[in-house]
Amino acid sequence: MLIERRALNAELSAINDLGTVELCELLASLGFPVDAVEERDGQVVLDVDVTANRGDALSHRGLARDLAARLDAVQAPIPRQILPEGAMLFPVRLEAAACPLYATAIMELGLNTGTPAEVVSFLASMGSNAKQLPAVDASNELLHRYGHPTHAFDADTVKGALIVRWAMAGESLVTLDGVERKLTSADLLIADEGGPIALAGVMGGEVTKVTAATRHVILESAYFDPRVVRRMAHRHGLHSDASYRFGRGVDPAMAPIARDLLAARLQAWAGATLKGAWTAGALPSPSAAIFLAGPTLDRIAGEGIHMEEAALLLGRLGCAMQRDVSTLGVVPPTWRHDLLIEEDLAEEVLRMRGFERIGSALPPLEGPPHPLSPGYLQGRDLARRLAHAGFHQTVTLGFMSPEADAAFAKVDNPAAGRTLGNPLGQEYSVMRASLLASLKATGELNLRQGAKEVKLFEIAPVYQSTPEGPAERQVLAIVWAGSMGGDNYLTKARPVQAADLLGVAQDLGAEGLQEVQQLAEGMLALEIPLSLLPAHAERIIPVFKPFRRYPVVERDLSLLVDLGQSYRSLEMAMSSAAVEVAGEAFLGLGCVDVFRHKSLPAGRQAWLVRLRFQASNRTLTSEEVDGWLDVVLRGAKALGAELRG
Amino acid sequence: MDPNLLPPEILDAERGFPQALEACTDLDALMRVKGLYTGRDDSHAVRMMELLKVAPKEQKRALGAAINGLKNLWEEGLKARQGELETARRQANSLATSWDPDLPPPLPTRGALHPLNRLMDRLIDIFRPLGYHVEEGPEAESEANNFDGLNIPEDHPARGSADTFYFSAHKGRLLRTHTSPVQVRVLQRVAPDIERLGGIRFLAPGRVYRKDEIDPTHSPMFHQVEGMLVGHDIGMQHLKGTLAYAMKALFGPGADVRFRPSYFPFVEPGCEVDVRCPLCGGSGCRVCKGSGWVEILGAGLIHPNVLTFAGLDPKIWSGFAFGMGVERTAMMVSQTPDLRLFFENDQRFLMTMGGLD
Repeated sequence: MLIERRALNAELSAINDLGTVELCELLASLGFPVDAVEERDGQVVLDVDVTANRGDALSHRGLARDLAARLDAVQAPIPRQILPEGAMLFPVRLEAAACPLYATAIMELGLNTGTPAEVVSFLASMGSNAKQLPAVDASNELLHRYGHPTHAFDADTVKGALIVRWAMAGESLVTLDGVERKLTSADLLIADEGGPIALAGVMGGEVTKVTAATRHVILESAYFDPRVVRRMAHRHGLHSDASYRFGRGVDPAMAPIARDLLAARLQAWAGATLKGAWTAGALPSPSAAIFLAGPTLDRIAGEGIHMEEAALLLGRLGCAMQRDVSTLGVVPPTWRHDLLIEEDLAEEVLRMRGFERIGSALPPLEGPPHPLSPGYLQGRDLARRLAHAGFHQTVTLGFMSPEADAAFAKVDNPAAGRTLGNPLGQEYSVMRASLLASLKATGELNLRQGAKEVKLFEIAPVYQSTPEGPAERQVLAIVWAGSMGGDNYLTKARPVQAADLLGVAQDLGAEGLQEVQQLAEGMLALEIPLSLLPAHAERIIPVFKPFRRYPVVERDLSLLVDLGQSYRSLEMAMSSAAVEVAGEAFLGLGCVDVFRHKSLPAGRQAWLVRLRFQASNRTLTSEEVDGWLDVVLRGAKALGAELRG
Repeated sequence: MDPNLLPPEILDAERGFPQALEACTDLDALMRVKGLYTGRDDSHAVRMMELLKVAPKEQKRALGAAINGLKNLWEEGLKARQGELETARRQANSLATSWDPDLPPPLPTRGALHPLNRLMDRLIDIFRPLGYHVEEGPEAESEANNFDGLNIPEDHPARGSADTFYFSAHKGRLLRTHTSPVQVRVLQRVAPDIERLGGIRFLAPGRVYRKDEIDPTHSPMFHQVEGMLVGHDIGMQHLKGTLAYAMKALFGPGADVRFRPSYFPFVEPGCEVDVRCPLCGGSGCRVCKGSGWVEILGAGLIHPNVLTFAGLDPKIWSGFAFGMGVERTAMMVSQTPDLRLFFENDQRFLMTMGGLD
């Protein structure tokens, strides 16, 4: 909200001597941070941030009221000539409870002497141009100065009566901005005998608007239910200065005052004469007292605060008070719609004392702390291990295009159950079923940027369509692309292979054989649900298991096998043969070299298989291990392998 | 020793001995000098022994002593020089077989954690000693958890489809707009047992979604860390004490905090929390726009309606909640000019900004 420094000073002389920085700090300490300060036509203009609950502060008068309370200063009363209330010159009927109070007046306009220069300048500070239509400019000025929106109708276009009522289905209204609005029964209207003439508290109608030719005006200064105005403004996408203020709650007691001020300006600027002024309805009954208990205030403040002090501070804000020993009965002023419970009052007491006076203490530990959840620890451990292993953690958006999603979604996971009804765009419309499409795009970006080797991972939820709605599960995806090594004198560059990625997965403890996917030329990927990876180890020190202290005996067998030979079945055959003869002394075997060369028999390759043996109770002899090896070799030969000469 | 006892050629050899040793640059040369002086054939030592054989009887004793003296002198000199040359050779050999120590050693390849995750983990580490644990919740949430349970009115603009993403096939299912629904879930879960637990305190880090177009300061997905504490007699001073500790732990001992009144429907009183600018220390800079303070958290005491919604009696239980935007803080501290860099995941950005824990 824009605030002109000169106009703010006019509402509270106590701030005249404050510098801009001091004023900004004071406003911020009251909950009104200043986003920007600028100079417009020689006037200092502040852009003040007002929270949604403080409709009362959306004007110079309102903001000055809070400053006055904080500074314990007095605001001069609003200069006003009270209009004599008379009989209704035409009927005003309030047919909806959402408008309890409607002050009006009829005036005949005389010679337009123009909007005064200081008001033109003030409106310029507020970012609007004076229209040189006195009724419009004055209404606009009053809104910014005192926070109460008013409206003027061209009286000669209004038929018969003013009725505040709910719209009926099928009705419509062309608003001042020239747009035809289809109305619903949730729209509150100002209507005449002929139909709608204004959206209550939001915008006037085109037909009844004031023009240079207008001779008679009907003034409107009313109170409308904030919730009704908010919904209307939202439904019609019509956020006017008026709906902004009515929607956050104006002061109903200001309705007759603002009408009087508007009338006085028309008399002064346009030689207008009053035909009559009257008010329909009445002020809403004052809200019930809120009881602030001493212990509640002390708890929230963190120190004992005397009830006298609380009463004094709330009194400065305009609250009416009844006191007994330890409880304060508080009736908030008509402009404070946000004071509803005792905690609200406690905040006001602290706000008036200054939040900087709140003490600082750590709360005592009342119960034992909970352990960190296994799910969080698992993700954190995995991320740290992968980062230390050379991978880069990524964060990518959870939604993607249907096409990108379809490339990796399983058939039992239809996109419809994961699709947003109001996405930012088609490319952000589906909650992803897999992280791989995102990582593929990220991998390609890095390769395009010239990375030789791309190593990425992400831990994030993926979505599954279920009849109950979208379900999430955490997955880990790893992408490895390009070539590895070759950047020092010990390693040679080579393309990344599927086995590299499988090794990483196995190292992380992935159960079973994982499926390595080729996302693009030279770009390999794995996606593993975190549920298939080991949970964070609960025990730091596991149960002791005796380990073997006798020497390990290693034997290498160079085997010629067919090119299509499955390593896994050969390993199983050799292992079971080894277990049969060596029993627990057989530790395991592994392939340590693969050799393919034209010097080998056609269709054959050579595998160097290393077997390891170790007994738990003695040193093995060469002879017994050689004997076992013969048996193991027979197992391999049964699958067509032969010892390479 | 009487020099007249020895022939002139031996005396010459004796005088030339130190230079002969010095001239040896390797062990082979030294062996040749050794042969010349003390060798078994045709050496100065052999010739002296022959002189001794033919010397008159009365001279033999003195001559013998002189010859032995010379031989000992030469043998010691030779041995010492041999030691020097062997040491030199060992050094030369070792240089020839070792790496040049200036040659850079191959480093293990390093990756990086994402800076946003790292910041969230750091916050968790900071709050751990105060007894906070981690709670997580789903991104796809209900309106009840995302709005109703947080005292957000039914006509609040945040509920509109202009601000919040809704699933098309499931009415009322949305992408959470903050991590606060985790509060609702946790409070409802622990409410029946809250007396035995002695309250609850936790952090809820996570991803949230709002309908913002992607630009240098906005993203439709971003991260928050939410914190909550419920106990007896909790007041604003506890919130201040907790956040003052945490901000000092995060930014250093100069990081004072300042509360400003503000408004969030789920807390009362509500406040915005500024921290003394970690970049200029409060003297004013570009990041704090000259004010010396940067806004970093929203916080407040839990609104009684939130406690009641979860099944807790606000007459007995009270607490506070706070929330931090992770991207905003990371950008502020690092002065990263563009939010999109955090979601682009260029390895070069991740290496410089993320690092390892």
